Amino acid sequence: MINVRLKFTKGSEVKYISHLDLMRTFMRVVRRAEVPIAYSGGFNPHPEMSFGAPLSLGVISLAEYVDINLAQEVPLSELVDKLNQYMPMGIKVLGAIKLPEKFKSAMALITHAKYSIKAYIDDADTKELKEKLNSFINQEQILAQKKQPKKNFQIKEVDIRPMILEMNFDGCQDGICIFSCLLHSGSKANLKPEMLMQAFSDYVGLNFNRTTITREEVFVEQDGKLIDLLQYRD
Amino acid sequence: MINDNIKEFIYEDILPKVEKPGRYVGNEWNSVHKSLEGIDIRFAFCFPDVYEVGMSHLGIKILYHLLNDQKDIYCERVFTPWPDMEKEMRENNVKLFALESRDYIDSFDFIGFTLQYEMSYTNIINMLDLAGVPVRAQDRKEGQPFVIAGGPCAYNPEPLAGVIDLFALGEGEELLLEIMETYKTWKASGKSRQEFLRMAAGIKGVYVPSLYHVEYNEDNTISKVTPLYEDVPKKVKKRVVKSLENSYFPDKIIVPYIEVVHDRIMLEIFRGCTRGCRFCQAGMVYRPIREREIDELVEIADKLLASSGYEEISLSSLSTSDYSRLQELVEKLMSKYESKRVALSLPSLRIDSFSLKLIEEVQKVRKSGLTFAPEAGTQRLRDVINKGVTEEDLIKSVGDAFETGYNSIKLYFMIGLPTETLEDVQGIADLACKVLDRYFEVPKERRPKGLNVNVAASSFVPKAFTPFQWEPQDRPETLVEKQKQLRAALKKKQVKVNWHEPYVSYMEAVFARGDRRVNEVLIKAWELGCKFDGWDEHFKFDKWMEAFEQCGVDPEFYAYRRRDLDETLPWDHIDVGITKKFLKSEYKKSLKAELTRDCRTVCTGCGINLLEEGGVCK
Repeated sequence: MINVRLKFTKGSEVKYISHLDLMRTFMRVVRRAEVPIAYSGGFNPHPEMSFGAPLSLGVISLAEYVDINLAQEVPLSELVDKLNQYMPMGIKVLGAIKLPEKFKSAMALITHAKYSIKAYIDDADTKELKEKLNSFINQEQILAQKKQPKKNFQIKEVDIRPMILEMNFDGCQDGICIFSCLLHSGSKANLKPEMLMQAFSDYVGLNFNRTTITREEVFVEQDGKLIDLLQYRD
Repeated sequence: MINDNIKEFIYEDILPKVEKPGRYVGNEWNSVHKSLEGIDIRFAFCFPDVYEVGMSHLGIKILYHLLNDQKDIYCERVFTPWPDMEKEMRENNVKLFALESRDYIDSFDFIGFTLQYEMSYTNIINMLDLAGVPVRAQDRKEGQPFVIAGGPCAYNPEPLAGVIDLFALGEGEELLLEIMETYKTWKASGKSRQEFLRMAAGIKGVYVPSLYHVEYNEDNTISKVTPLYEDVPKKVKKRVVKSLENSYFPDKIIVPYIEVVHDRIMLEIFRGCTRGCRFCQAGMVYRPIREREIDELVEIADKLLASSGYEEISLSSLSTSDYSRLQELVEKLMSKYESKRVALSLPSLRIDSFSLKLIEEVQKVRKSGLTFAPEAGTQRLRDVINKGVTEEDLIKSVGDAFETGYNSIKLYFMIGLPTETLEDVQGIADLACKVLDRYFEVPKERRPKGLNVNVAASSFVPKAFTPFQWEPQDRPETLVEKQKQLRAALKKKQVKVNWHEPYVSYMEAVFARGDRRVNEVLIKAWELGCKFDGWDEHFKFDKWMEAFEQCGVDPEFYAYRRRDLDETLPWDHIDVGITKKFLKSEYKKSLKAELTRDCRTVCTGCGINLLEEGGVCK
């Protein structure tokens, strides 16, 4: 068996496609491209694929990862080209690495994610926003409201401050204000950027007309450093 | 035309607020996007239900690509926005847009609807209104789109006569292109809207309701239907494609992102049905039978698998096991695709021709449940409806299935069939119990664990162009009683009973055999908030009753009345090829529980052979 990790984008055209739908899409792309993927056993065999951290509906990403299991060797560049030929608009494979026989899945590795956020704010006061962001981030505790889908969408208050590593404000132009942030992401601790922006908008008392969020990269923390998933080696 | 700001507003600001934005984004693999340069006709192909239902329909897939294969036609899809989306659209003054270009469809040349079930009619009205197009045909002006409709429900077009400008009757592959040609000629001529409808009425298979006058008798039955002009046909004949050999079938199909109801390749193996079940409208109106050749089917399957990446093929027809070389077809497909892990599913298998060998072949890749349709609980009633299967057939088939390892069986029945008694209803329960008994006859170590028998009992709705078109429907109270009886008789842990909402079936019965006078009721019901009536959670029976009352129309006249055999029926000026004489004779035979043979064995004289010059039956 040959294990391969792919990095791909999920663009605006497909940002409303759910994680489950994306998985099905990949399955069909692999079939169209006639990539020799390995299948699981059992009554309902399915192609062996495992995706990294799910993306919320409406979020764009420049760095999604999927680990696939091939039944036979395919040169990586050929694999990438083939897949891209059959990908729907908005999804593009950016790179691939071969993984060892035993490896930790992308899903299990991811610890951090970096986002850029465009918030549409009428008559934004840049100076004031900057100050407000500073005081927002300097709080000991930031309580945010979390909906719990498994508990009838009951709302629970959680402290999100420990999950924010960085949050920056990069200025506004034509009513669009740009933020970037580095957040905990993954199975241990996970903060969704839309929840952070909601907490921030509540804090500053501003209504954002629209926010568009892009996941720029996801990382694994190794020896105190953040490494992206194509660079990471066990 | 819509400007890009609105498109962006829809995409960025409206879609994040709705439950399943994937329904409205388009851009799926194999969807067709064209530049507007050189486009003469823009066609909005509308399915009056939500995306997941509409994208499961084979006809829309065929006609979408057929139209788009024409250089100068741009066909786009439109589905009914779910109520959450509709609310956002109305609040923000966003009109109904096409999925591919996101342009508003009120500037298109055609808005086409496929009529698959009567309970989607209010969605048609709602979609026209959302599009900003007048809901009544008479209110549409020069420059506005023509509203065209086709599909099985178009065979009784009258309940929508005031909404639809023109109906296309029968199979669309040739007819639709002829209508498009006529439209181009008309557009170049600069003549009036009315003039196009006159021209279109001259095409075989086109029915323009506004060109006919209906008169009524004192007892509210129809006295006569007359064309307004001499050149308008008195009777409109449906169209059929003479042979499926080399007839159009797309070599690619759209692959939806979100999961749709039938998310697989549908390979149409034949059209029509020869069995002649007397309740079944499809079995009558889709005649004659025409098969596609095996080699051609394999070639189509090859192309579709390669272009879609689908992992399942479903053999599509009205009665799969009637394909004359099914075993050979299945073996060919499986030998080709088993290694590629393509699963094959065979819906609509008949109980009397269930083949173990076939099933073993099919389940090599993936095992799924089995569905059988005895339709009625006793032999007498099965003979009344000319189903032609026996209890022995069923027990043998399920026995084979259990022995092969199946543990999930679905049984389809109808309640409320003509001449049905409580004994027949009890028969359904008895039959289901015999299926259980057969399961327990299989030695424990050989039978699969966890038996699961699903009994679906839908309510019978008499339809136009069937031998039961003269029959009254059971009243909802009676249907509820029968459902109760059935549930009480089937209180077993392995059995689940499902049924239809009887009041929905009542409304369905009204519109299935309605005339022009129910048209205003539809519009009124929509004004009162009715839409998505096929979805139990949206069905508002009280609003429907209010609509009938306000319009002064009696729904019972349409649903519960036994028609006289000599009455002029609202669809008598439509010719589906099956003669009224044949339907009458079938009706009379049914009351005596007399069977009619499968017309593959001997011609039963239904009349379809005379539809086209030279005959169409093999």
